[in-house]
Amino acid sequence: MTADGAWRLPPRGVLLVAVLLIACAEIGGASMVRFKPELARWARDAMLARPAVHGLVGVRDVDERILDEALVKFDAGLRLFHLHAEGMGLVILATTSVATTLAGRGAGRLLIALLTAGGAGYPLGYLLWSALIPYRGIEEGKTIAEWVVWIPFGGATILALWWLAGLVAVRLARR
Amino acid sequence: MSAARAAVPALLALLWAAPGAAHHVGTYVPKDNAVSANFKEIKFALQAPKLDVARRLFERGALRREMGAQAATLPPGLEARTLAAFRAGDAREAEGHLVVFFAALARDLAREAVRQLGAPGITPVARAATGPKFLEAIWRYYNLIDFAVSMRDSKSSVAMRLAFDEAETYAKTSAAPAAVNPCAGPRRAADRARTAPDPDRLCGSLERITQILTALIEASTPARRNP
Repeated sequence: MTADGAWRLPPRGVLLVAVLLIACAEIGGASMVRFKPELARWARDAMLARPAVHGLVGVRDVDERILDEALVKFDAGLRLFHLHAEGMGLVILATTSVATTLAGRGAGRLLIALLTAGGAGYPLGYLLWSALIPYRGIEEGKTIAEWVVWIPFGGATILALWWLAGLVAVRLARR
Repeated sequence: MSAARAAVPALLALLWAAPGAAHHVGTYVPKDNAVSANFKEIKFALQAPKLDVARRLFERGALRREMGAQAATLPPGLEARTLAAFRAGDAREAEGHLVVFFAALARDLAREAVRQLGAPGITPVARAATGPKFLEAIWRYYNLIDFAVSMRDSKSSVAMRLAFDEAETYAKTSAAPAAVNPCAGPRRAADRARTAPDPDRLCGSLERITQILTALIEASTPARRNP
């Protein structure tokens, strides 16, 4: 809390990012349900067009298991995007409110930027992974999503959260 | 030192450590296909014993359709004999025919694996990746009938398990089975040193699997008991 005991709202841009992220999560969830067969068909066709990427051997009993696993992971990626985007939207709102209230002007800005960018970017990694599975395979898609999105954005969020936790602990100790 | 400067080493440490902490994206559990699911339903009905239910499940199920589709590679009249056994209420006879069907599916997969692994122009990477996929598919079918095979022809059951274990060892990139099974005893020095798959020896194991299953199919048409 500030000296006057009031909570401060994070900048409006941050609020907009958080609300947009939650809205994207809801649109993603609704689209997954509405277009489930179409999405599965598209992913399956894209995988069948790239047998070498997925290690398809042209034998139904072998290939169906490979395609099924890839489709399950494709669906899991979309579900995880929906869940993480919903959750991280709320995490951004909560943590940036604490940061705005407790942190000083310079460090507070960086902290809020890390929390917002990390929180908003991280769930997109699941969407990227899902989109990459039909073209690059499960493991290669995951590696790309990890290095392009999960590690930088997730790392930023983890770093910012520990920073914020330290800030709260220091404030408590000073009292 | 500014806060931003202080954050840089921590961020770098995190980025360095992150690949080690594998990202959790869920676990895949292989599902039954229509044929294996139908077989399990029939097997449970036979064990119940609800022979009329088993007969209906066979008559309307995916297993019978697949038998029809694969008729060219199966012993002649297998579908008709299986149906007759169900209609006669002979559970053991019906089970014997189903054993033949799944053994034939597994045998055909083993044959195809040998053909693909020996195909000219296949890259070493593709060879190494193909073997385990076929083995998994072969085991998925054979595992359905392993108990019934062991009850009818224990020698074939043991031979099949040994051949499969050997094939798995040659298909994997390390001698893991010995490491995870303390009862397996010490492995030969040549196998301990081997860290790459051995598709040539895998082909040999797959050919042995083909021979065992072919013999099993021939011996089970009609079904045979151990002396």
